[in-house]
Amino acid sequence: MAEPRLPVGPALASLRRRQLVKAGLTHAALIAACLVCVYPLLRMIAVSLRPGDRLISTDLALIPAGATLASYARVFAETNFLLWLWNSLVITAVTSLIGVSLAATAGYAFSRFRFPGDRLGLTLLLGTQMIPAGMLLLPLFLMIMRLGLINTYLGMVIAYSVSSLPFSIWILKGYYDTIPRSLEEAALVDGTTRFGAFYRIVLPLSTPALSIAFLFNFTQAWNEYLVARVVLCDAQKYTWTLGLFELQGQFITQWGMFAAGSFLVTVPVLLIFLHSSKWLISGLTLGGVKG
Amino acid sequence: MASVTLHDITKRYQDAEVLHRVSLDVADREFMILVGPSGCGKSTLLRMVAGLEDISEGEIRIGGGIVNHLPPRDREIAMVFQDYALYPHMTVAENMSFGLRLRGLPKAEIDERVAEAAGILQIRDLLRRTPRQISGGQRQRVAIGRAIVRKPKAFLFDEPLSNLDAKLREEMRVEIARLHQRLGTTIIYVTHDQVEAMTLGSRIAVINAGRIQQVGAPAEVFSRPANLFVAGFIGSPTMNFIAGVLDRAAFKSESMSMAIPGVPGDGAPLRVVLGIRPESVCVDQAPSPLLSEPLPAAIEVVELLGYKRNLYLKAGDDRLLATVDASFAGRPGDAVAMRFRLSEIHLFDKETRNRIG
Repeated sequence: MAEPRLPVGPALASLRRRQLVKAGLTHAALIAACLVCVYPLLRMIAVSLRPGDRLISTDLALIPAGATLASYARVFAETNFLLWLWNSLVITAVTSLIGVSLAATAGYAFSRFRFPGDRLGLTLLLGTQMIPAGMLLLPLFLMIMRLGLINTYLGMVIAYSVSSLPFSIWILKGYYDTIPRSLEEAALVDGTTRFGAFYRIVLPLSTPALSIAFLFNFTQAWNEYLVARVVLCDAQKYTWTLGLFELQGQFITQWGMFAAGSFLVTVPVLLIFLHSSKWLISGLTLGGVKG
Repeated sequence: MASVTLHDITKRYQDAEVLHRVSLDVADREFMILVGPSGCGKSTLLRMVAGLEDISEGEIRIGGGIVNHLPPRDREIAMVFQDYALYPHMTVAENMSFGLRLRGLPKAEIDERVAEAAGILQIRDLLRRTPRQISGGQRQRVAIGRAIVRKPKAFLFDEPLSNLDAKLREEMRVEIARLHQRLGTTIIYVTHDQVEAMTLGSRIAVINAGRIQQVGAPAEVFSRPANLFVAGFIGSPTMNFIAGVLDRAAFKSESMSMAIPGVPGDGAPLRVVLGIRPESVCVDQAPSPLLSEPLPAAIEVVELLGYKRNLYLKAGDDRLLATVDASFAGRPGDAVAMRFRLSEIHLFDKETRNRIG
């Protein structure tokens, strides 16, 4: 016997249409946002490839007519670009390692232990993130000067680490909160110390949050300009942000070299993001506990 | 293996005392059940034995030695957690061998112990999988395996079956009983499920509101509950309670009156609660010296359980449950005569709530 037809056809079609329109609008908005983000990067690449006589052309082509790598060659040949990169790399790597190490342990303390002032501490940490960086510049400069760390890597590392630390602590504390305590308790009963349980169980499970904290520390330190301008005055210690700024003269700016240098310094960050993307997918703790 | 002794254990959180001078002896190779309702303090007590909670007052001995100030790793105990607590980033084999690796045992011995435990628990095929790749029941087996390989002095189980479905729970219950027989280990097992308590334990400690109410063999706790709480908590369906007065060896309530042999009859009338289990209430049975006088009642509801029937009876203002044979043909509204098995009547002092006689 034929099944009776339910009068859902038009309603279903209307539902599908609404879903399609919704998906279309969402995608259109996302594509527009992507274009806004990517456009400056594409312009930077385009400018870096232009021949010297067409730097301020209004041409929108990604690969301009007469494209050349001359600007890239000049960046390496005529500036201390490699030295700037090295300085940036040292400061950024040490900053990220120190920042993540401190945040990993501090976040654990805030997540697992109750002690006087724990809530106030967390609130104050959050409060520091609400103060504009410019306002902190003078006090930071005075502190670093009194510590005798002006024009040193250490001064830069301290300045960068402390400014990224609160955010990293919050990220990690929040992530630790999602890891069941019973995992650490099982490890304690199995034979670890408290630190052993943290090191062997909690840290490996926190790779996604640690990656995010590392990336945050890395990009903050790698791209920073203001603090570097204040703390560093010896050209031999310049980071790439200061170095590239040197290309901007009073009468003439080397836009080709500027763009080429800018593109080159985005490559490491891009590579780190691509490499870390697999760790950014959370859910590693699924399956260890009931469910 | 070893005995576990708790002496006057008290636990306080700031001003709130959650365990009040609890004392308990768990003999070597004994299967001790801590049973009680949620929040009674049974898990806290177990965690104190494990070293995961500080002891406010009292003394815990494992194998004779005081362990109050020893960290969990030095107490030589193994624990199975309610949520399994398997390490998600390790394989089943790595989970099971974790404790042995920490103790620096030779690899050959570790492999041998893991293989042996995996064989006992029938999880050999799962050794290379991660916890997320196995089912709930298998995870519980792995958690038990992780405890077995350590060969500890005592096993602590914290409601290990409460996350499993009914069928799996039944299977694992038998499995754990078999495991205890095979390994002959000292086990302290926390549960709120009285079926687990009755079927698994060599002895049961019934806990309520931070105090041990009764310790004894399951049959003893069931047949001679020490107080009203134990009487109501142990046994399913729960015991019927009827408030009344005990006067000259006779129990009288608003709806019934019956002579109870073996009860001292010379004291002043005493306010009591009579307890009778549903299976000790007989309906429409012939008179017998073992049964009480008939009491008129009416059937309100009948529930067929398959092999038994539950009858919800009303006698005056009292409501009682009787569990009778499935062949009983009575229907709701029918008038029946109920009799109590005299030897299975429990009397409790209404003031102290303790058992009389």
